[in-house]
Amino acid sequence: MADVRRPWAAADPLGRRRPLSAPAAAGALIRHLTERLGSDIRDLWTDEDTVEVQIDGARNVDVLTRLRDEEEFAFWFLADAAAVDYGPGERFEVVYHLYSSRHPAWLRVRAHVDRQDAHLPTITTLWEGAMFHEREMYDMMGIVFDGNRDLRRIYMSPDYRSFPQRKDFVLPDDAADSPAAGVSPLERPETWDLGRFRDALTVSSAPTYPPTDLPVEDGETAADTSRPR
Amino acid sequence: MTAIDPETRIPDPIELDRLEEERLRAAAGLAPLHAEGGEYAGFDTVGIPERPPQTERERDVYSLDEGEMLVNMGPQHPSTHGVMRIVVKVRGEIVVDVDPVLGYLHRGIEKLCENATYTTVLTYVDPMDYLSTMHNEHAPAIAFEKLYGVKAPPRAEYIRALVVELNRVFSHGLMMGFLALDIGGLTPILYSFINRDEIVDMLSAISGQRMLFNFFRVGGVNWDTNDEFLSRLGTWRGNVLRNIEMNERMITENEIFRARTVNMGRLSGDDAISLGVSGPNLRASGVPFDIRKAHPYSIYRELEFDVITQEGGDSYSRYLQRIAEIKQSIHLIDQIIDKMPHGPVQAQVPGIIRPKPGRAYGAVESPRGLYSVYAISDGGPNPYRFRMRDPSFISLQAIPKLMPGRLVADTMAVMASFDPVMGGVDK
Amino acid sequence: MDWELILGIGRFLLATTLLLLLTVPTAFIIIQMEMKIIAQLALRYGPNRIGFKGMFQSTIHGFKVLAKEDAVPDQADRGTFTLAPWMVYMAAAMSMLVIPFAPGAVAADFNIGIVYFFAVLGLSVVGLLVAGWASYNKYSLLGGLRAAAQMVSYEIPLTLSIVGAVVLAGTLSFTELIQWQLEHGWLLVWQPVGLGIFYISSLAEINRTPFDMVEADSELVAGPFTEYSGMRFGFFFFAEYVALFIMSGILISLFFGGWLAPWPFPAQLGGFAGTLYGIFWFFLKTYIFVAIAVWMRGTLPRVRVDQLMGMAWKVLLPLALVNLFVTAIAVVVFDL
Repeated sequence: MADVRRPWAAADPLGRRRPLSAPAAAGALIRHLTERLGSDIRDLWTDEDTVEVQIDGARNVDVLTRLRDEEEFAFWFLADAAAVDYGPGERFEVVYHLYSSRHPAWLRVRAHVDRQDAHLPTITTLWEGAMFHEREMYDMMGIVFDGNRDLRRIYMSPDYRSFPQRKDFVLPDDAADSPAAGVSPLERPETWDLGRFRDALTVSSAPTYPPTDLPVEDGETAADTSRPR
Repeated sequence: MTAIDPETRIPDPIELDRLEEERLRAAAGLAPLHAEGGEYAGFDTVGIPERPPQTERERDVYSLDEGEMLVNMGPQHPSTHGVMRIVVKVRGEIVVDVDPVLGYLHRGIEKLCENATYTTVLTYVDPMDYLSTMHNEHAPAIAFEKLYGVKAPPRAEYIRALVVELNRVFSHGLMMGFLALDIGGLTPILYSFINRDEIVDMLSAISGQRMLFNFFRVGGVNWDTNDEFLSRLGTWRGNVLRNIEMNERMITENEIFRARTVNMGRLSGDDAISLGVSGPNLRASGVPFDIRKAHPYSIYRELEFDVITQEGGDSYSRYLQRIAEIKQSIHLIDQIIDKMPHGPVQAQVPGIIRPKPGRAYGAVESPRGLYSVYAISDGGPNPYRFRMRDPSFISLQAIPKLMPGRLVADTMAVMASFDPVMGGVDK
Repeated sequence: MDWELILGIGRFLLATTLLLLLTVPTAFIIIQMEMKIIAQLALRYGPNRIGFKGMFQSTIHGFKVLAKEDAVPDQADRGTFTLAPWMVYMAAAMSMLVIPFAPGAVAADFNIGIVYFFAVLGLSVVGLLVAGWASYNKYSLLGGLRAAAQMVSYEIPLTLSIVGAVVLAGTLSFTELIQWQLEHGWLLVWQPVGLGIFYISSLAEINRTPFDMVEADSELVAGPFTEYSGMRFGFFFFAEYVALFIMSGILISLFFGGWLAPWPFPAQLGGFAGTLYGIFWFFLKTYIFVAIAVWMRGTLPRVRVDQLMGMAWKVLLPLALVNLFVTAIAVVVFDL
């Protein structure tokens, strides 16, 4: 952001001008959006104090860069980055809320993300503070942000294997059964290559589910939990 | 006397120990301990399960060069403002890197709210940022009112603004106490709690609770003001400016306190914006961004106040910013009391409501920054998606950026100046 | 039979026993003072249930400390882990030998008492370092190193600040120094700068706020004492408060006249009554300074480690040297 001069200072002094009411206020914003980003916008909606656009997930960095850097937009503050799950079989959405001192409306950018292949470019290059947002979205929904240097779980423990805020999240957590199994191989301990550390240390003694250390009878595997033990 | 070859390098004791250890390990048949470059330490030191690093950043943080050490501050710790774990990589006393580990207080509030009616949600959000409960409730109330399509009556809006500003006063007062406590002064925290107690008594008269005020409803507030509330408010207002000044004078001019906070944790305006820091932390770095002015909500359009900023962006500025905001809030409270109209305090809203499908965003200025709620309704009695953006969560990212190069003792002091509350961080 | 020698030895043993017995109630009293004074500063009551107005709370703390489990960390070095509290406590107890309580009531009236005192006080550094290292704990290690650095740095201004007083009085013995003060007035008027430096350095030496980085409980839990519990911790705890008493005692002996009463009271009396009179004034003055130190603990925040060290080396040490030179020149010029 070296060459974007303090946009909050260049804009009108805050609060001295009563914001205009209803659609006329956001008119300039809507006009700019349709003129400049028309090709990227799939849909546009406006309300009293919010303008909402829907874009394709893969274009999020380009769109947000233009929204942040161009003079007419000047959305210099990323207020929120959230993920929404529309149900099993439906898409994900990553929703960005942006603030500009030039426009009296919040801008909501909804980026569509495919559920089967939940990848999205990272915006941590634009706003460093998006790191925790993206970590949380990955932790809770399983959306992977390409290019994020630190995409690990933030709330759940590092070897948790499921994504709690998905609509098809099941309890008790069982990665083998849950359809939202661990995306990263590092969330599946059986794939870890402990290498030279294997002999020096014991493997974690945390209990596994299903339990792997109980006696197994004939015709039954360790994963069979139907028999009470 | 034999001449010592100047090329001979006499190893110092730590290296002799290391060579000895390598020799013994080789003799026992074990692999050598120290690899080239940094040694990845995630396997034995700070209680992380034995596994390779998951990300590049994790590898960076947990790889130790010569002389570095990983110190684990928390989760049980007297001053991490709740349960948080900070893994600090230190070389002696100097911090080289910081990795906050969160999630110890994660209660799954967002998912919980998807199974609760809109009214119940307002009780679930209370214990998020438990020191600014009214703000926690205000944002969802705004979002839900947009979904319902109702407006709270004017008196309710004024009462909302009043309790919200009272909450801001005691939350900022507590920050002053916590900052002093983390720096070593044992008494200001108790004075802050006395201030808080007066306000909390007042708010308990109006809402029935002392900490998790279940006061906001969609469409207004729960109760109107009563005699006890107004009487306590009057008494408090008579004393507060003098009390605040008396308490802060002990710290603000204190040489030791200034030496610990001036020029510490200097955050520039650009960095703060990039990191998403908001609220008093951002304004202390010089950026005049206040949601109450930027996107006015409730009755803030009718109140007269300026956006206060400080130069500097160091811990001392953040402290001064909060003291100034306390005084600003008191000024706002005066205006609110002046202008409060009569009328009902709750709009007529049905018991179980099924708002039309839609999306709403409500943002308020909480004592820690921009607190916002993004709610999606699918036409049912429960919100389809309820997302809260907590300011402390995002402000915590400033710590790994500010701390490298500073001393360990400053970690806590700088963190206290950002005033995070773990309930909000972990949701 | 050399009765003189035997009597002397007997007297010494008695005095030592009395001193060791004195340390424990002293620690109790000072801890009680601390709890109550800091509570009053914070607009609280402090302990007010046990005994009349809570007077016996710290005695009960002492018994509680005895009753706690004595846990030694698995990988700690057991021998040195046990030795560390002894070292700190012995440093405090041994330095009590030379404190001039009253005329004739000094356990060991060396003629190099001052040198002995500061030499023995340095042993506590070793104890803290050993505690930090032997605990097998990174917090303790950091705390122990901080303690060593801090205490070693502040010993130099501490000892240099009193050399001016020593030069003036011409003696290294405590009792003779107090005699000099009887004749020439209290040393605080002669050596105000020395007093200031000594006061600050003494607080830093015994790790009191604002210099209590060692046990900064908002950063490193309890510094080098983190792994200690039960009576081992009790030793450290008591040693800290006994050291506070000792330092205050030495401070008033050096600069405030020791056992001498201020004007308008008669400065010194003779015989047994004189001893009691001296003890009374000594304890009064000492406890005044102890109370001031406790007051400072309740009020002031903590100075950071590098600022602390910076102050010792860059401010106090040059000041002490300047004080020494000025004093020496004045002694020569004015034939004192």
